[in-house]
Amino acid sequence: MSAAAVRKAVVDWLDDNYHFGDAERLIGSDDRSFLENGILDSLGFVKLVLYLEDTYKITIDRNQLSPRNFDSLGLIVKYVTEHPKFRAPM
Amino acid sequence: MTAPPIVHSPGPERIAQSGLTAFARFCERETGRRFGDYRALFEFSVSEYPRFWQLFLKWADPLIEGDPEPACRGTECESAEFFPGLRLSYAENLLRKLGPDDDQRPAITALDETGGVIRFTRGELRARVKRLASALSRLGLAEGDRVVAMARNTADSIVACLAATSLGAIWSSTAPDFGTESTLSRFKQLEPTLLFAHPAYAYHGVRRGITDRISEVVAALPSLKHVVLLEPVTEGVAPPAAPFETLDHLMAATTPPTDPSWPRFGFNHPLFILFSSGTTGAPKCIVHGAGGTLLEHLKEHRLHTDLGPADKLYFHTSCGWMMWNWLVSALASGTEIVLYDGSVSFPEPDALLKVMASEGVTVFGTSAAYLQYCKDARLEPKETVPMPRLRAIQSTGSILWDSQYDWILEHLKPGVSIQSISGGTDIIGCFALGNPNLPVYRGESQCVSLGLDVQAMTADGPVRTGTGELVCRNPFPSRPLGLFGDPGGTRFHEAYFSQYPGMWTHGDFLQLTDRGTARILGRSDGTLNVRGVRIGPAEIYQIVLGIPGVLEAMAVEQTAPREPGGSRLVLLVVLAAGTTLDRPLTLRIKRELSQRASSNHVPSVIVQVSALPTTHSGKRSERAARDVLNGKEIVNLGALKNPECLDELRRDPALRVEGGPGDDVAKASG
Repeated sequence: MSAAAVRKAVVDWLDDNYHFGDAERLIGSDDRSFLENGILDSLGFVKLVLYLEDTYKITIDRNQLSPRNFDSLGLIVKYVTEHPKFRAPM
Repeated sequence: MTAPPIVHSPGPERIAQSGLTAFARFCERETGRRFGDYRALFEFSVSEYPRFWQLFLKWADPLIEGDPEPACRGTECESAEFFPGLRLSYAENLLRKLGPDDDQRPAITALDETGGVIRFTRGELRARVKRLASALSRLGLAEGDRVVAMARNTADSIVACLAATSLGAIWSSTAPDFGTESTLSRFKQLEPTLLFAHPAYAYHGVRRGITDRISEVVAALPSLKHVVLLEPVTEGVAPPAAPFETLDHLMAATTPPTDPSWPRFGFNHPLFILFSSGTTGAPKCIVHGAGGTLLEHLKEHRLHTDLGPADKLYFHTSCGWMMWNWLVSALASGTEIVLYDGSVSFPEPDALLKVMASEGVTVFGTSAAYLQYCKDARLEPKETVPMPRLRAIQSTGSILWDSQYDWILEHLKPGVSIQSISGGTDIIGCFALGNPNLPVYRGESQCVSLGLDVQAMTADGPVRTGTGELVCRNPFPSRPLGLFGDPGGTRFHEAYFSQYPGMWTHGDFLQLTDRGTARILGRSDGTLNVRGVRIGPAEIYQIVLGIPGVLEAMAVEQTAPREPGGSRLVLLVVLAAGTTLDRPLTLRIKRELSQRASSNHVPSVIVQVSALPTTHSGKRSERAARDVLNGKEIVNLGALKNPECLDELRRDPALRVEGGPGDDVAKASG
């Protein structure tokens, strides 16, 4: 799973559902907090998690989610691309 | 019809102590008859509705003056008038002293997402309302004037509402996140004299000023004489361009009045104007009367919800929805009301549930969409935020699915009473309600509202058991007085009484069971219900058709089990030759709807089609498109002049919903 593809999917999803063409500008840089900058609220996060689960056929453990590992574009991309399903077999 | 499982049964003690039981015994004493169960009481309430309302008036004992005879003048639902000889004050009834310690009893607890809390006792609230009413009177506000508000769900919004209506003015409010166009499409029709507004609001940690919008609204309302900001303009927000006063200043400049009396007005004096947007034209301005609203709410609160002074009621709403008015009226039952302003999931995903628990709310009003969020977020309130005082959960706005009953009982609170209630803006109340004396069947509303002869219109006519269009066959006090700006009543008749003469036609499909329960099945007209919010397609068309390249548009609600509220908004567009619905155009349509109407107006899916289903008389058939998208049989296909366009909808993969009925049809036809 390429990081660029996941990144584009998340930005497109933000545009489709919340920012309608303005997502890239609002995000600014990939380490910017979504919650602190009003890019996504926690209801939106739940929708995003459902979308990622549907799109990539993965299960995301809600107990593992925290702002520390899911609150920016970079962290979300990292979370998905490093999901056990996409890790190369040892 | 097999009954679904019973998921809650009230115990004998609860039944013995309920307001409904007390009222039934009262009716027995007054009439000499026996009302052994709810069915018997309900039959009496609809077959002898004038007597029923008279008895309820006597039992509920609101502050009134005049002659309670006749209870109802006329027998036609469209024109009947209740209690024409009575006079009352809505505000006085909400703020009346209910006992020697009334002044110290809690009235409102208003919280916000930043942790702010304002608490008013009944004495404080009464004094504040009186003082503001005195200030408004000094400004020249008079009986019949329209007062509008762009207001957050705060304690002072209620103060403003009660102060204005105590003078006989008519109150109408929207939420501050309404776009300028949506706000003006409502307020312009009313020619208001006074505007209350909050200059900013906070949502999910972000504070947004709306003074630019206030300025636009004021500029477009030449009838306005005064603008009152409900809070001072804080740093970072520019003041509105129009002259204004602040509530604090207005109050400070007014001497507290000493006269404890309240002016009273006719039972059918206009109190609220609510809005309902349909498939064509500007939103309807529905005028509700003071007496009808008060009586219906007293009935729903005291009999169906069993509210009293020991209760704390929360209903999740904004000032732009009738449930706000419904919530405010609970003060008349001595119930403390809890308000929450902000995001339900800030600063933590379970923020709202924590408020319910910490405040000891006894009746929690919410929506299917919020409960879906709790489920998707894997919240476990039963474990993390136990609510020992909570006895009932009410849900309205959209259908509460069977599985959500299970979720509530497994994850929120085992044994709690689940009340799926349904009615609407049009009647400022409910047709289907809870009942403290009856069991809860999974997926069903417990009963039909007392005094309202609700039936399902079938091919064989209206029935008490069956499935069909929701009609109400008898007059009821909360029937609107009419529509503002419709003196002859033509639009009013067209909206509610033209389909089945002599009966109120509500625009919902419902199922009535032989157990006396009800199940709302969705809208029967072209109105949309998105995430529990009712949306008029006309507002969408007005914006979308102004976008270059868009020739025609049709908005349709499609069942989508995984979406909050169980459905999604689909927009079909016909574009000019050579124009394609590419990503920039898709995003532009969404952006304009979000900015100029509200986020609830933004479709989940936009699809380009070559034509919209149209009847031989040239009318667009939203119903045909909706039936195709929801996998239903097309009724009266022969009425369409272009039925082939429906195949295009069936084939489009973007219009298939996983797990939805449209999915099955698409697969079958594909």
